[in-house]
Amino acid sequence: MAEQRAGVIHDLGYRHYDGPREGVATIARTLYVTGLRHAFGLGRSGKSKILPFLLLALCTLPAAIVVGVVTIVGLSELPLTYAGYTNQVQLLISLFAAAQAPVLFSRDLRHRSIVLYLARPLPAYVIALTRWASLATALLVFSVLPLLVLYTGGLLAGLDVGEQTTDLLKALALLLLVASMLAGITGFISSVSLRRGFAVVGSIVALVVVPGVVTAVQAITSEEDADQVGVVAGLASPWSLTNGLASAWEAGVTVFTPPAGGWVVVYLAVAVLVAAAGLAAIVARFLKVGSQ
Amino acid sequence: MSARTASVGPVTGDSEQVIETRGLTKHYGQVHALTDLDIEVGGGVTGLVGANGAGKSTLIKILLGLLEPTSGSARVLGHDIATEGEEIRRFVGYMPEHDCLPPDVSASEFVVHMARMSGLGASAARERSADVLRHVGLEEERYRPMGGYSTGMKQRAKLAQGLVHDPRLVFLDEPTNGLDPAARADMLRLVRRIGSDFGIAVLVTSHLLGELEQVSDHVVVLDAGHLLRSSATGDFLERTGSLLVEVVGGTTERDRFGEALAAAGLTCRPRGTAIAVEPAPDGLSVHDLVRDTAADLGLGLMRLQPDRRHLEDVFLDDAPAAAAGGSRG
Repeated sequence: MAEQRAGVIHDLGYRHYDGPREGVATIARTLYVTGLRHAFGLGRSGKSKILPFLLLALCTLPAAIVVGVVTIVGLSELPLTYAGYTNQVQLLISLFAAAQAPVLFSRDLRHRSIVLYLARPLPAYVIALTRWASLATALLVFSVLPLLVLYTGGLLAGLDVGEQTTDLLKALALLLLVASMLAGITGFISSVSLRRGFAVVGSIVALVVVPGVVTAVQAITSEEDADQVGVVAGLASPWSLTNGLASAWEAGVTVFTPPAGGWVVVYLAVAVLVAAAGLAAIVARFLKVGSQ
Repeated sequence: MSARTASVGPVTGDSEQVIETRGLTKHYGQVHALTDLDIEVGGGVTGLVGANGAGKSTLIKILLGLLEPTSGSARVLGHDIATEGEEIRRFVGYMPEHDCLPPDVSASEFVVHMARMSGLGASAARERSADVLRHVGLEEERYRPMGGYSTGMKQRAKLAQGLVHDPRLVFLDEPTNGLDPAARADMLRLVRRIGSDFGIAVLVTSHLLGELEQVSDHVVVLDAGHLLRSSATGDFLERTGSLLVEVVGGTTERDRFGEALAAAGLTCRPRGTAIAVEPAPDGLSVHDLVRDTAADLGLGLMRLQPDRRHLEDVFLDDAPAAAAGGSRG
């Protein structure tokens, strides 16, 4: 009997769906989680996992080595602070942002599948915000993971809990700013230049070249006793903003021209502004595409 | 034409209009994409015909709430497009004209994801995707990245994502675009099935009248953003309800048959190997007369069908009149 039925395809006809349909919040959460996974290549082809995980390994490996050294040698404190660590791997974080932002922001626009999203319940601005949140979270995960390795290893090695926790919290606050700014900047660049290559190059210019120039300017101005100019120049890139704040908060980062007094507030305000402007630009871009 | 607004009645039991527009107008600067459009669309399959640039895609985008009309209003599934776009998009499916599939994802994954974006839960999304992909005829290839698909397969995948959330109304924008004749026939059959077997109202656009005649219950004709005509497909044919008749044999038999029909009081013209029979005066049953005449002459009837050219003829007849009377520009 079973054998007789094996080759038969039973056409059940079209079946309607009368189950539950989720609201906007749940759909947005699904999109957020999918985006976060895609940023690491999860749920995509095997090839897409190589770069994010290679960068993640490069970013985390030194932390593991430091922990090993601290444990074996028996140091009483970490050789560098958490914010200092981020400062050391800032190139890797920039590369991750530049490489993965197009995954979240260029693909849908380039292949025009964005139209299929827009023909569904989520409004354009929610899609844009969700994409930004996915990338910012991915960046946060990427940059916090090595710090957690350091922190856990440090505590296991018997370092002072209070001191380490204060240090870590400072670094986390800075990373929150970094992730928001980088997601806004690279997200906007990727949503405008839809060719992946252009988007990556554009992001690298914004996150690597510009900060490099700023650092050079700061080094020169500090040499020439024109510190104030260097402080102002620091407003020009996300990394110089972050490092300036880190230095002002005594988080273990030294810069050529550290901001002081009112400048710290200005740095913080500009950082928040950069993040907000990037986010607003992404939303505007999606709204424009939506009405085409 | 009796009025600018022509109601096209539903074929399903549902008496509610699925689409209703009132004075819908869309201007892009100097370009008038839609002008004062009043349309009502019921259940079943409705064909939206017009040349390229007639405003078909613009109308669909406005109805989806993706574009804001310059003036006028519209209701889709009873919801106002201006204020209830989210509710509309929840129960409407859309198959765009252009390519919209990411090449590095399989149809299966993509359709599941799109189902979730319409608010279906994870397991429901998977189940519905498998179902719908089977209905549109994507078999094993559904697991391959869509970049390698033929145009026909891409169209099927695009259709599947538009149906996966079981919409009440689906907009199909030029679904036969770029397909070869066999794939075109398949797609049209599928469109027909969606309207009849699936019970989903369909608004399908095409610039080919012949296609829509095969699948539509109603036809709405747009010309440069104006409504040219909106009525049941049958009405188009009835207006000039000619018949095409063909008998077994060559021109001799054709002429003999034609003369006999003419003698019986019908106006006939030869066309190719067939005879075009003009609509009969009242009280004369053309079908019976054709049958009886053939029987009397001992000729075998090979073909007896409505003259298909006439849907297009109607369109062509109407176009100059509307262009002359219209307030375009």
